[in-house]
Amino acid sequence: MNDLHAVLWIARKDLLQEARSKAVTVATVFFSAVTLGVLAFAFGENPLLMREGAMGALWVALAFAGVISAAQSWQADLEDGALEALLAWPVPRAAVYLGKLLANWGLMTALGFVLLPLAGGLYGADIGGGAATSAGAGGGGGETAPALVVAVLLGTIAAGTLGFALIAVFYAGLTANLRARESLLPVLMFPVVVPILLAAVRASNALVGSGDLDLAWAWLRLLVGFDLVYAVVCLVLFRFVVEA
Amino acid sequence: MIDAAARLRRPPWLRIYLGITLLLFLAAAAFGLLFSPRDVTQGDLIRIMYAHVSVAWISFVAVGLTAVFGALYLWRGKRRDDVLAVASGEMGLFFASLTIIGGMTYSRPTLNTFWTWDAKLTLTAIMVALMVGYFIVRGLIDDPVRRGRVSAVVAIVAAASLPFNYLAAEWFRTLHPAKSVALDGSGVTMDGTMLAVLLFNTFVAGLIYLGFMLDRVRLGHVEAALEEERSLAATRQAPMGKEVVRV
Amino acid sequence: MTGSAPVGAGAGTPVGAPPAVELRGLVHGYGGPPVLAGIDLDVAVGRVVALHGPNGAGKTTLLRLLATRLRPVRGHARVLGHDVVRQAHDVRTRVATLAVYGGAYGALSGRENLRLGVALRGGGEDPEAVDRALERVGLNAAADHLVRAYSSGMRKRLALARLTLANAPVWLLDEPYAALDEQGQELVDALIAAARDDGRTVLVASHDLPRSLATADAVIEIAGGHLRVMARPTRPPAATTSASTDGESGA
Repeated sequence: MNDLHAVLWIARKDLLQEARSKAVTVATVFFSAVTLGVLAFAFGENPLLMREGAMGALWVALAFAGVISAAQSWQADLEDGALEALLAWPVPRAAVYLGKLLANWGLMTALGFVLLPLAGGLYGADIGGGAATSAGAGGGGGETAPALVVAVLLGTIAAGTLGFALIAVFYAGLTANLRARESLLPVLMFPVVVPILLAAVRASNALVGSGDLDLAWAWLRLLVGFDLVYAVVCLVLFRFVVEA
Repeated sequence: MIDAAARLRRPPWLRIYLGITLLLFLAAAAFGLLFSPRDVTQGDLIRIMYAHVSVAWISFVAVGLTAVFGALYLWRGKRRDDVLAVASGEMGLFFASLTIIGGMTYSRPTLNTFWTWDAKLTLTAIMVALMVGYFIVRGLIDDPVRRGRVSAVVAIVAAASLPFNYLAAEWFRTLHPAKSVALDGSGVTMDGTMLAVLLFNTFVAGLIYLGFMLDRVRLGHVEAALEEERSLAATRQAPMGKEVVRV
Repeated sequence: MTGSAPVGAGAGTPVGAPPAVELRGLVHGYGGPPVLAGIDLDVAVGRVVALHGPNGAGKTTLLRLLATRLRPVRGHARVLGHDVVRQAHDVRTRVATLAVYGGAYGALSGRENLRLGVALRGGGEDPEAVDRALERVGLNAAADHLVRAYSSGMRKRLALARLTLANAPVWLLDEPYAALDEQGQELVDALIAAARDDGRTVLVASHDLPRSLATADAVIEIAGGHLRVMARPTRPPAATTSASTDGESGA
């Protein structure tokens, strides 16, 4: 039986649970919509401030959603000792982590894609417009630039949510296994994901504001580097998190 | 086996070491406060830098070592590695807190603010948060083996974030316009004397770290021995050489 | 005081084969006085062994240690020759557990839970196996309902189905009779007997002494952190082995 099979089964189980209970979807959509709204009020009526703050608000909402999503996904495993049973089986621990990671990442990316136009509309930031203003689109035709910028923006969302998911699923498993208070999860998680938050906001701002692919790429490198390093670190260390 | 009783008193060589370190500390302070030159732009205020920067560097080393000892513990399972990890973690948290206090003391007169998003200072603040998390997790677990393993994981994840946090904080400042006076002294042209004093202060900070480590590890071994004593007390009463039950 | 323990492997075990379960100097505790204070035990392959003792005596702790869900504080434990700490994965492939809790995902149906278990344990060659297992435990009708709607008895039956599907040589059952009606308890006895016929080794932790005496090859009492043999009921040999058992009985 190969490990990839196990990973996919576990991811499928998580997504199936979510599709039926909708616990994560409801909580995260509601919470992130509220966050966006509240931050919009905080920025006041200054349209320039709002436009500059759009991506920041988006990523704050996604960060909180990531915490909720990861915590909820482990709760379902803790009920009735399902996780205990799962861990008593000969499933590699890394496969359990990877399966839950994939499921969480999928949900968060979907949420991010939905929130992007919402944030744009709420805050008056023109998502595709940044590309139109980007001067020097190379020698190529100007028509590829907007699509490319939006594509890179979507890629940024995927890379950023992956970083959140890597740490959130990892630490949520730890706090769940320790029967710790749920408030411990953000305490552990946020100092580690600060680089993601900073890099994702800066990259998104660069893309939305002026379609500056070079600046965005500078920050994206940090994002991707973080994702790669922590994918390895978390996969290797996860078994210590769920052992007795 | 660890001989707990013998370790309860601080050994003579450690007393001597700590005494010498104290003297060197006074010397370093004297150099920093009295015998080093004033700065062209910052005047006497630059003197805070000797205490602030030296302590900052050692705090990073201490936190890095916490993760290294933690990794060793995961690998080898020797209690000593866990004792080293928690001692280094305590020192890291302590020195990082000193760094922040020093940073705030430094920035008030120079930049007229109590806080600045200087890369190193931001990193230090994040490091304090990470180490607080480390100790909270340790406090939640009673079983010493599990406590060592889980906290080692937290330490490794925390330490791995430091380079990324530093880069993010640094680029946050520099890829956009930022203030030109850096609190890490890098914006200051250092003449030979100042650099020497800084290095000497850093060396002394390192000695202090080492001294605390030696003392703290000694106590850590006593704690570990006590824990083992308590957990195995009842098993000593088991009859020796009883037969294996076979079914 | 220890019960009389005849030296030598249990009858029916080929010479030189490792015991199904081997414990030496096993110690485990949760901070205070240890729950298991130095256990030495050999269980031969193919035996059904009942663990008896008051609440908190260490029955669950012992089973969880063998299931690799706990690490020994001292000593070691081996299942079919594999150490529970250093070869945990090998142990898990050979052990199937029935725990006190249900262990199923409430948002999935009974059938889906079983399919997940089969997929993760490496089975899946026989598509009918899940249906047969559901039939055996009497959950046919409720197979496609979500487990969160199951009664505790139904959850227990589902766990029994999962146990049989695992096809493992060693079974660890923690209070299998709890939450089951008379019919369900007889089902458990039947499954244990069938397992014995298949040559599996079964450890059962139970309060139900009469049932233990009726189904087990040996009843062991755990008290004060130590073991002693309470009874070795006379038992006809397992259908597939030609072993003769010792003829002592009584507490």
